[in-house]
Amino acid sequence: MRTTKLLAASTAAALALGVAACGSNDTSPTSGDSSSSSGGAKQGGTINGAGATFPAPVYTEWAARFKDQTGTTVNYQAIGSGGGIAQFTAGTVDFGATDAAMKPEEEKAAAKKGTPVHVPTVLGAVTVSYKVQGLDKGVKMDGKTVADIYLGKVKTWNDPAIAALNGGTKLPSTKITVCHRSDESGTTKNFTQFLADSSPEWTNGPGVDKTVKWPTGTGAKGNDGVAGCVKQTDGAVGYVEQAYALQNKFTTAAVKNKEGQFVEPTLEATAAAGVGASPPADLKFSTINAPGAKTYPISAVTFLLVYQDMCKAGQSPAQAKLTKSWLNYALGDGQKIAPELEYAALPDAIKAKAQAKVDGLQCNGQPIGGTS
Amino acid sequence: MEAGSLTEVRGGRSILERPSRWRRVDPMVRIALTGLAALILLLIAFFFVRLFVEAKPAFDRFGYAGFIFDNNWDVSKSIYGAWALVVGTVITSAIALVIGVPVAVAAALYLTELSPRRLRAPLTVTLELLAAVPSVVYGLWGIIVLAPNLRGAEQWFTDTFAFLPFVGGTVSIPNYFVAGLVLAIMIIPIVSAISREVMATVPPHDKEGALALGATRWEMIRMAVLPYSRAGITGAAMLGLGRAIGETIAVTILIGNSPSIGATVFSQGYTLAAVIANEFGEAASDPIHRAALIAAGLVLFVLTLIVNGIARVFVNRASRGERAAVPQGMAG
Amino acid sequence: MSASVLPAVDGRRRAKDKLARGVLLGLTVLALVPLVLIIYYLLAKGLGAWSKTFFTSDPTGRFLGDPGGIRSAIFGTIEMVALASVIAIPFGIGVALYLVEYGKKTRFANVVRYFVDVMTGVPSVVFGLFVYIVLVVSQIGGTFAAWKGAVALALLMLPVVTRSAEVVLTLVPDSLREGALALGAPRWRVITRIVLPTALPGLITGSLLAIARAAGETAPLLFSVAFVFGLQFDLSQRMNSLPLQIFNDVGQAQDRLVERAWGAALTLVLLVLLLTLLARLVQRRSRLA
Repeated sequence: MRTTKLLAASTAAALALGVAACGSNDTSPTSGDSSSSSGGAKQGGTINGAGATFPAPVYTEWAARFKDQTGTTVNYQAIGSGGGIAQFTAGTVDFGATDAAMKPEEEKAAAKKGTPVHVPTVLGAVTVSYKVQGLDKGVKMDGKTVADIYLGKVKTWNDPAIAALNGGTKLPSTKITVCHRSDESGTTKNFTQFLADSSPEWTNGPGVDKTVKWPTGTGAKGNDGVAGCVKQTDGAVGYVEQAYALQNKFTTAAVKNKEGQFVEPTLEATAAAGVGASPPADLKFSTINAPGAKTYPISAVTFLLVYQDMCKAGQSPAQAKLTKSWLNYALGDGQKIAPELEYAALPDAIKAKAQAKVDGLQCNGQPIGGTS
Repeated sequence: MEAGSLTEVRGGRSILERPSRWRRVDPMVRIALTGLAALILLLIAFFFVRLFVEAKPAFDRFGYAGFIFDNNWDVSKSIYGAWALVVGTVITSAIALVIGVPVAVAAALYLTELSPRRLRAPLTVTLELLAAVPSVVYGLWGIIVLAPNLRGAEQWFTDTFAFLPFVGGTVSIPNYFVAGLVLAIMIIPIVSAISREVMATVPPHDKEGALALGATRWEMIRMAVLPYSRAGITGAAMLGLGRAIGETIAVTILIGNSPSIGATVFSQGYTLAAVIANEFGEAASDPIHRAALIAAGLVLFVLTLIVNGIARVFVNRASRGERAAVPQGMAG
Repeated sequence: MSASVLPAVDGRRRAKDKLARGVLLGLTVLALVPLVLIIYYLLAKGLGAWSKTFFTSDPTGRFLGDPGGIRSAIFGTIEMVALASVIAIPFGIGVALYLVEYGKKTRFANVVRYFVDVMTGVPSVVFGLFVYIVLVVSQIGGTFAAWKGAVALALLMLPVVTRSAEVVLTLVPDSLREGALALGAPRWRVITRIVLPTALPGLITGSLLAIARAAGETAPLLFSVAFVFGLQFDLSQRMNSLPLQIFNDVGQAQDRLVERAWGAALTLVLLVLLLTLLARLVQRRSRLA
């Protein structure tokens, strides 16, 4: 039958396509098995992680270089801090990532698998990015004004509230389009924390959380989504991590810090937020509105989440070993790479405490053998 | 063939007799196929029951009326009232119907009654190609090409017609209208295809009779085709509505993801399907949030069930050939 | 019948007729405009993304540096849709065979028909949710896995295959069946030797259309497969797919990621179009059409 011949021909074509694509050499830089690097037996394997989009740029860069170095693939799914905590609790990933430390009820939900351990990795800056024709970078903002923008009270860029902070600069009359997150986000938590610190109306209204009831604006998924939202509309404002702002060449605001100085989000200003921070024993600390004249007030620390006893939580010993080596990389070589993407490395004291936590991770009661 | 060959004997038996081993296969095949059919029933029953069981915690906490009619979807406070989502679903689907159905029916009319015979097949195939475009591609095209380019026109419309209800204020790039517009494009193929099928069954006598009496082509359509096809077109529209209600990905990209009822037709909003796609990842370990999302899915399911049920009634009525009322002027 | 049924055609009626015809033509053209625009933009923006590395490298997920291509997405889609077809097509044709050959107008068969109809109307996101609850959360066989995505797609394809198969099988003339039965063939041989071969082109058409539909679906995969960058053939692991890849790239601010989305979209649309055209070609060879 001619139909059968037709079918046979198309199946053959499909198979040929498959063989061809399989056989071709891909030149992607991350397909690392044949790439060079430190010799010796590679550990290989795959670990899955999910969570915050805030550190996604630096985590994916780490993952690429980690694979070159050790052959281990790290699949990091940037789905937001809320998603990271959820998947970590459900046990569907080897490690979670969040910029918002787990709340008591979240830790309780995770308790049936074990004790969550927060490992801080880097500090980043939550920029107030905007795209307004006629407005240069460095518009001065303070917590109260930004809160009023996000409350919908300040509607145009030449509003008296903004003009008061920027005496002399000509402000366009463009309408403000607010961009915020539609998913549960640690970036949101840090941003709303900053807003709440200066605006009682914000505290009593939307409040501080990974997701709030936004009075106005468009919701987008992830830091990348908010960046896309800002890019799309003239007059838009959004809160995105520094790396995203830089990559899209956004203009960012100079935000008033605790000492009254207007500081732009630079690497130094972000790092300054970590200076002098003394985290509690569980390493859950926040650097929002940190003291210091040169500090950028919306600097946030981000965490990797693992269970204290990884194997009791459901991981195989092999996976636990790989995860630990990933964490060691984050606190080791990773710290040197972070500044390349404008993330600030951890202050030495905090890094030491984090390393101690990682060293103390266990598999079925035993310390996890071997490091990276 | 010789007359006697059918009674030819092989080993003492007629070749017409089935071998005894074949006798066993028939009942087995029958049982197997009946089993498959029963399996579908079980699957769907299980489907509905499981969804309901998982959604129940949300209904227990907020009540059925509370969940559906309260306008307060607040994830951080664990309050889930889905009214804004229901309204968003209704608004976008209504826009899709209002724009999509007339266009689809017009295209169906043109293709069956007015188009040159040579163009009929190519135009029909082209129209059906609209159905081959995946939903995520509609979303991509919508948000990159359509929505930004429409903004200027939407702003002009808002400024000029600000006195109309639900018009006025700021225009957002992703909004109800553009989501509804893309939904309209997506339902055109299905509404048009079914309308065409129904129109093709109009008895030629009616059409020829009208023409013979001196009606113009349009009058013939108005008097013979449309009344006859009314039920089928309504059914087609309802099927399109069902499709629009359940559409997820294109709407998620174009609606703006704001869990409140937008003030104008050009504001951001949210729909039941979009909230499920956006929030399920974070609900993995939060039982109430997960139950709320599944409850939203259940509401969506029930809505589509009702709409499709109504559609089926209309389409069946049309295919049984029930005539619409005899139009005036034709009565003898 | 009254003497003058309709007034003689005058200018006013002719004008109305012309106007109506114009409006209908205009609206028909309007219906085709979006398609033209979509094809135009797909080609304009998508072709630019196409290159040898586009098809032979995986997405890297890196923020800086090379974003990579869509190889893992193409293979993922092919693999998951293939598995879904292997599940749904025999199942669907089997149910259709039952309805046409054995069930016919019985009450049970009518109930099955009704439920299959119901299934066609279920939004794909609800199927995804169902698979999420039953397979992912319960952690049967790991968490997110490609085979679970295939199951969700199969659920989607099942009613489509069943309905179209039922239509085609009904079209096989009863005389063929009765003739074979009269010659002494048992029912199952009638099915395998007479009914199925006659209906084969129609069955293939219906199946190809269902496959085309499944290849383009995103929502069922969101809940069951999760997104991953690297190439993966193991069905028990997470796997990339074209719709998920596009969905991931759509909201991005980076232009080259959006460009990759267009390239992937063009690839997906071509895949779906190919399947649809193949289906139509087969249909034309059918003896029953």
